[in-house]
Amino acid sequence: MAMKIKAKLKGDAVQVKIMAKHDMLTYDQAKKKGTEANFITHITAKVGDKVVFDASTSQFLSKDPLFQFKFKAINGIKAGDKLEVTWTDLKGNTETASKPIK
Amino acid sequence: MERRKFLGLSVAAVAALPAFLSATDFRATKPDAWTAKTVDDAIKALYGTTEMIEKDVKVKVPKVASNGGAVPVTVQSNIPAKTVSIFQDSNPEAAVMTIEANEYSIIDYSIKMKLKTKADNSNSVVTVVVEGTDGKLYVGKASLQVALGGCEG
Repeated sequence: MAMKIKAKLKGDAVQVKIMAKHDMLTYDQAKKKGTEANFITHITAKVGDKVVFDASTSQFLSKDPLFQFKFKAINGIKAGDKLEVTWTDLKGNTETASKPIK
Repeated sequence: MERRKFLGLSVAAVAALPAFLSATDFRATKPDAWTAKTVDDAIKALYGTTEMIEKDVKVKVPKVASNGGAVPVTVQSNIPAKTVSIFQDSNPEAAVMTIEANEYSIIDYSIKMKLKTKADNSNSVVTVVVEGTDGKLYVGKASLQVALGGCEG
C-alpha cells in the first residue's frame, strides 16, 4: 500500500493531487474472482485539525483512485504546512500519509 | 424543564466535539443512497427529493472513454456548497461519491471512475448534484460513450 500526494500553494489556493494505491474491487469483480469486494469508502485530507477535503466513496472509483482538488489557503494555512490524508476501506483497513504543502 | 436542561446539555456536548469529527460518513448516515440502482433513487435517498435546478454545475467528461476502468470526470461550480455528489447510470448502483464541503472548499474536483458500457450501447450519463448552502439542489450532467467497460474485469 502506498499513497502519492502532491500539494502546491498557488495564489490563495492549494492544489492537491492524491493517488491512493487500492484495487477498488467491486462486488461484481470480486464475485468473478471468488473473493470479497473491497474498496475505499472514505477519504479525508487535513491541515492540522482543519478538514480541507472529505469524501464518502463507492466501489466505482477507478483502481488506484485519483483525487484532484483545490482548497482555500485561509485561517493561516501556508506553504510548509503538512497535508495529512487518511483513507478507510470496506474491510476497515486504513492508511495515512502526509506531505508538506509546496 | 428537565427536557430543556437535557437539550441544552446535548448541544454543549456536540459543540465540544473535536473538529475532525465534522467529517460525515455518508455511507453510514445515508446507507440507501449507496445501494440505489437508479440515479433518481440515489439522489432521493441522499437528499430526500429529486427537485433540482439545472444550472451552474459544470461536468466535464471525454466524449468517448476508451478505458471504462478509469474515466476522468471534472466537476466545477461556484455555488456555495454543503455537499457535492457524483452519480452515473451505467453501473449496477448509481452512487460514486459524496464530498462534504466547508469553508475551505473550492468546487473543482477531478476524479477517475469506472463506467460499464450500457447493454444497449447508448451513452452513459454522469450526474452531479451540488447541495447549496441555501438548501437547494443544483444539477449538472454530461454524457459519454464508453468503449470498454470498467466493471467487466
